[in-house]
Amino acid sequence: MAMSVRVRLGSQFRNIMRVCFHENRHMSTAEIVVEKSENPKEPERISLEEQQRLNDIAKNERMEKLLNMRFAYQEFLPDPNPKNRNTLKERLERRDMLARRSNVEIPEFYVGSLVAVMHSDPHAPGKNNRFMGICIQKIGAGLRASFILRNFIDGEGVEINFDMYDPTIQRIDVIRLEKRLDEELFYLRDAPPEYSTFPVDMEPEYQPEGSAVPVNEIKVPLKPLPWLVKWERMGMKGIRDVTSMLTEKRLRMSKLKQFNKPWEKYDLLKMYSETIPIEDQVEIFSEIQEKLHELEQHRYKMKRSRNFVKPTKMG
Amino acid sequence: MNQAKILNLVAKLKHTNNIKPRKLKNYRGPEGRIAMLQKSLTALLKYERIELNFNRADETRAYAEIFMSQIAKQGSQNQKSIDMANFWILENQIIYKLFNVLVPRFSNDVSYTNLYHHPNVYPGILRPKAILELKNNSFPKVSSSIKNQSSVENILLKESHKRHFIDVITQ
Repeated sequence: MAMSVRVRLGSQFRNIMRVCFHENRHMSTAEIVVEKSENPKEPERISLEEQQRLNDIAKNERMEKLLNMRFAYQEFLPDPNPKNRNTLKERLERRDMLARRSNVEIPEFYVGSLVAVMHSDPHAPGKNNRFMGICIQKIGAGLRASFILRNFIDGEGVEINFDMYDPTIQRIDVIRLEKRLDEELFYLRDAPPEYSTFPVDMEPEYQPEGSAVPVNEIKVPLKPLPWLVKWERMGMKGIRDVTSMLTEKRLRMSKLKQFNKPWEKYDLLKMYSETIPIEDQVEIFSEIQEKLHELEQHRYKMKRSRNFVKPTKMG
Repeated sequence: MNQAKILNLVAKLKHTNNIKPRKLKNYRGPEGRIAMLQKSLTALLKYERIELNFNRADETRAYAEIFMSQIAKQGSQNQKSIDMANFWILENQIIYKLFNVLVPRFSNDVSYTNLYHHPNVYPGILRPKAILELKNNSFPKVSSSIKNQSSVENILLKESHKRHFIDVITQ
């Protein structure tokens, strides 16, 4: 069996290769043609650089993918206050959260999404209760993560604070997946009731897979004074202009420096102490990514598979 | 109840694990604190080695580290990093220096600054003092290692010990 192999060699490897080939020549019947190139170092260097560049791109892509998980799985990031940090506690909590997620599907939703929660309630008829509303807050880290749902029922505003990993929760359905302009929607308490009224028997709206989460850019008007909070000082984006409602003094006060705090925009140490650094985030998400992917695939399969019922004899 | 904010991404600080923002007592309050830090951060980038009270130096160091790492991450062409530089640096020449000289120099994956304790002069105000400097600057080194026997400090110390013993024996 005769084979011809073309090898291009750099000067530093030539001697080593010669020895290797010389020793193996009597073992094989391979025919070796060594071709000397004019610039022997050039092709090697390009290939190495290219390889490094490709490696870097792959690494960056992987990093970006992991870091983008922070939007959907925000509660996996620990409390940033260094007094409350404990790496062992955090790891154990993450394990428990994944164990809970393997029993109940906790879907991706944001502040502003419409969510329905089915939970067991010993005082309700049938021992189950279903509450549907708009999510006005998502807060907390680890097993203490919680969210608040708000809706108008029988002419009365109702809010329920659910723990996300509460064992009494049976099912969480996302009716409409969307975001709002703000991180908290507590101003809906001071808005007219039609802005937080949603029919309880709404059907879920499905979006094509892989599409970006839409942002609802609605601006909510507020009821006349008095309000629960001085909203003009809070810098909320989702509120309509309220200057006509305010007194002159209150308007003047709202423009003061001490409420707007312009120096906090670039306060780097404050920004640092409120977040988890990139390296820690990558470590956390690479730890949970596999398990989450597994659960997702399992669910996808279960949806597709039909439930076969054993045929029974008729007549 | 606290939750980590996720909009901004920041690289981990290399020089310390525990950071506590200091108040830096000031008659203008939190606004004055930021103004103090703006001044000393501009001076650090301008002179590359400065002498400060320890508290202020340590605080400036943290801000400088985050500042440089954010610019290295975002790139000097990014609008965000230009706005940040305009806020923190008070002189236009230093912004030019930052993007053209310092950023290419500090593309490494290590911390960007050094901090040294500085002795007090007695009699005087006995507050702890410090020297803050950028790495890879053109000045001679602040400290020489203790093991180096040929350094000037070690030779002088050895000689003074000898002189002291000779004086004790002769008395």
